Amino acid sequence: MSLVKTKYRSPEASAFYTAGLILLGIVVLAFLISLFWTPYSPDATDASAKLLAPCIEHPFGTDNFGRDVLSRVMSASKYTIYISAAGVAIALVLGTVAGIPAGYFGGYIDKGIMLLGNSIMCFPGILLALVAVAVFGASVTNVIWALGLVFAPTFARVCRLGTMEIKELDYITHARVMGVKTYRIMGFHIFPNLVPQLLPATVIGLANMTLFESGMSYLGLGVQPPDASFGKMLSDSQAYIRVAPWLVIFPALMLVFYILGLYFISEGLRVNLAKGGKR
Amino acid sequence: MTRHIHIVKVHHLTLAFPTRKNPNPKPVLDDVDFGIRDGEILGLIGNSGCGKTMTSLAIAGLLPENAEITSGSIKFAGKNLLEMSPRERRSMLGKDIGMIFQEPSTALDPLMVIGKQLEEVLTAHKENVQTKEERHEAIKDMLELVGFKNAEEIMNRYPHQLSGGQRQRVLIAGAALLKPRLLICDEPTSSLDTVTTVSILELLKELCHNLHITILFISHDLSVVRGFCDRVMVMRDGKIVDRDTASDILTNPRNAFTAELLTNARLDTRILGFEPVKVDYTKDPVLTAKDITAGYGRTLFERGKNKDEKTDNKVLHDVSLKVYPNEIVGLIGGSGSGKTTLIRSLLGLLPHSGTVEIKSPRIGVIFQDPVSCLNPAHTIKWHMSEALEASGKANEIKGEGTYKERKAKALARITAALEICGLGEEHLMRHPNELSGGQRQRVAIAMCLIQDPSLIIADEPFSSLDASSSAELLKLMTDINREQHTAFLLITHNIHIVRQIAPRVIVMSDGRICEEGTTSDVLTNPQSEATSKLLDAERQIHVILPVNN
Repeated sequence: MSLVKTKYRSPEASAFYTAGLILLGIVVLAFLISLFWTPYSPDATDASAKLLAPCIEHPFGTDNFGRDVLSRVMSASKYTIYISAAGVAIALVLGTVAGIPAGYFGGYIDKGIMLLGNSIMCFPGILLALVAVAVFGASVTNVIWALGLVFAPTFARVCRLGTMEIKELDYITHARVMGVKTYRIMGFHIFPNLVPQLLPATVIGLANMTLFESGMSYLGLGVQPPDASFGKMLSDSQAYIRVAPWLVIFPALMLVFYILGLYFISEGLRVNLAKGGKR
Repeated sequence: MTRHIHIVKVHHLTLAFPTRKNPNPKPVLDDVDFGIRDGEILGLIGNSGCGKTMTSLAIAGLLPENAEITSGSIKFAGKNLLEMSPRERRSMLGKDIGMIFQEPSTALDPLMVIGKQLEEVLTAHKENVQTKEERHEAIKDMLELVGFKNAEEIMNRYPHQLSGGQRQRVLIAGAALLKPRLLICDEPTSSLDTVTTVSILELLKELCHNLHITILFISHDLSVVRGFCDRVMVMRDGKIVDRDTASDILTNPRNAFTAELLTNARLDTRILGFEPVKVDYTKDPVLTAKDITAGYGRTLFERGKNKDEKTDNKVLHDVSLKVYPNEIVGLIGGSGSGKTTLIRSLLGLLPHSGTVEIKSPRIGVIFQDPVSCLNPAHTIKWHMSEALEASGKANEIKGEGTYKERKAKALARITAALEICGLGEEHLMRHPNELSGGQRQRVAIAMCLIQDPSLIIADEPFSSLDASSSAELLKLMTDINREQHTAFLLITHNIHIVRQIAPRVIVMSDGRICEEGTTSDVLTNPQSEATSKLLDAERQIHVILPVNN
């Protein structure tokens, strides 16, 4: 309708971006610093300093083995970010590779792929991941693969729907008439147009993946001791929640920051795409 | 209600889209000042992007959020619209100001029957307290008024069960239900074929006289405005450059820009400098199609309904045609006559019976919609190299010299093809949304050209372009035809264009070819009913439409 082109970002979206980046920034900063330096070694126990309340030497207090909570929170952010990013990457690749052909070819290919995806989706995701880890053994790599598989159908659905819409457009017909090969049409003509839809899905996927990982670590199937992850720290500290609440509060806060930050960013993306993303 | 000479008075209106980076941009509407007299049909013409639609949206109060009116006022029946609250303005929509949009296919809710959608219009305005029966009666009367003989039946249909023209009638009925004093029609006929256009214009004219509705008619099609409007205003770059009575402005323009528009709209081959193409009919045809029969599979619903019939819906029946080298063939026919199905079969996109023989490895194709003809995610350069790659022509370059030299050679080919189409190197790195509709169509042609096809199929390339862009595109097509010896199969519902550039014409109706021959023969001495119907409709647009009352 309007031929006027403006780079227009709504103030609402800007507010979401700012809030999201600040919250996410805290976690990412903790992660980056932990790569080079933590106040104490995250695994070093100190029998003389068990369950210390937050003080100047230990700003976040210490746990039941006398380990510094701040150091552990910092190193836990490493696993959380690593598992969620790698899991989403696997889910994204699997989902895209399955979803685009499903939407493009339709018919039996579509039915077959979607049947597989739907059967994964109709089980509770955490249950499936738990079974996979129980069968293949509890390790970080297995957790990543299990979560990636569980999340792949979500991305496949987004890709399939987008592809079904885009493949009817003239430029795809034009590419077919020009003689562009099918895999090229899917990879280079359709995929770049799916990015605006995949972006919010990816960010939400990161947040959900983190929650799943925390849940699995809480159940003892994710990160193995002595390594720390937010979920693992929460499960370890539940016996001490009355005497040493700081053991729960700080990892939980970091988890909240990370997930809330991601949700804010995805919300900003959604608002921005809905308002200004129309071509 | 008090009567005003001017039902709408737009007073020195200036409108812009300010951004944070550029708080004082070039205004989209620049000091627009005009009045719409009560009971008249006012035409607003101009090229795309000149501010026609923005003017109408400003009157209706439907401007985009980021638009800002910097000065001026809009008065409707004496009340200043810009000082009213959004709630008041919304209540005026429909009741005082009605609006009809360009695309009838997207303006109706696909999940609601027509009767229900029209009832929504009545219930939305609470002051019309009516019982269900009264509303039903009012809708039925209105549907009959807009020309449906089976109004009861239409009310129970879904939008997809109606044709484009019927949908546009339903929309007009919806707009007229509340008897608005002003009806804004934004290009209501540009997606319709000639026969339907004439009937819609007749209907609007009748409504104007019978219900005393004032009409603001926006169009880029001058031939439509000629017979239909009382007065015409010409817009250019957000300014009104010319205004006069319709008969004066279109026969005796005083403004240079109006004259240019008229020349472009006439598409006169002599003025635009086309040369008639000479075709050698003894050569082998580039495209031979024999006995093509094609159709679409029936839906599950239809299969359940008529179980006895085993066949699918056939749209084409035994169509055979030939296109000779260096020839421009026009393919005309009303909507639903199977033109698009035919080209989909020719391109091999639709399963069909019969044979299609093409003499070159590639045929090019240009589509109707300039918005979706290019991939929005990529630059023009990417589009061009993709076309080059796909045609296998890139292999010729391969194996010669270094990677850099090959790149330079490919780039040289791309710029050469773009240059033929009137685009320069500065367009290479642009994305499709940074180009106008006409420019996008040119890129689509350049993409065809780089593949060096012997035939380009053009599916209604002009219908969504304004007069100036159409004229330029037409000139480009004839130039390519003359210099590159490319044949064109031009599908259109604009008979005028066919008459100007195509030496041979094929007329389709109901999935069959009903007439074929040299353009002058077919169009002066039509043998079939379909052809004479199309010609009648075209003639009617140009004369003043009679009012039957």
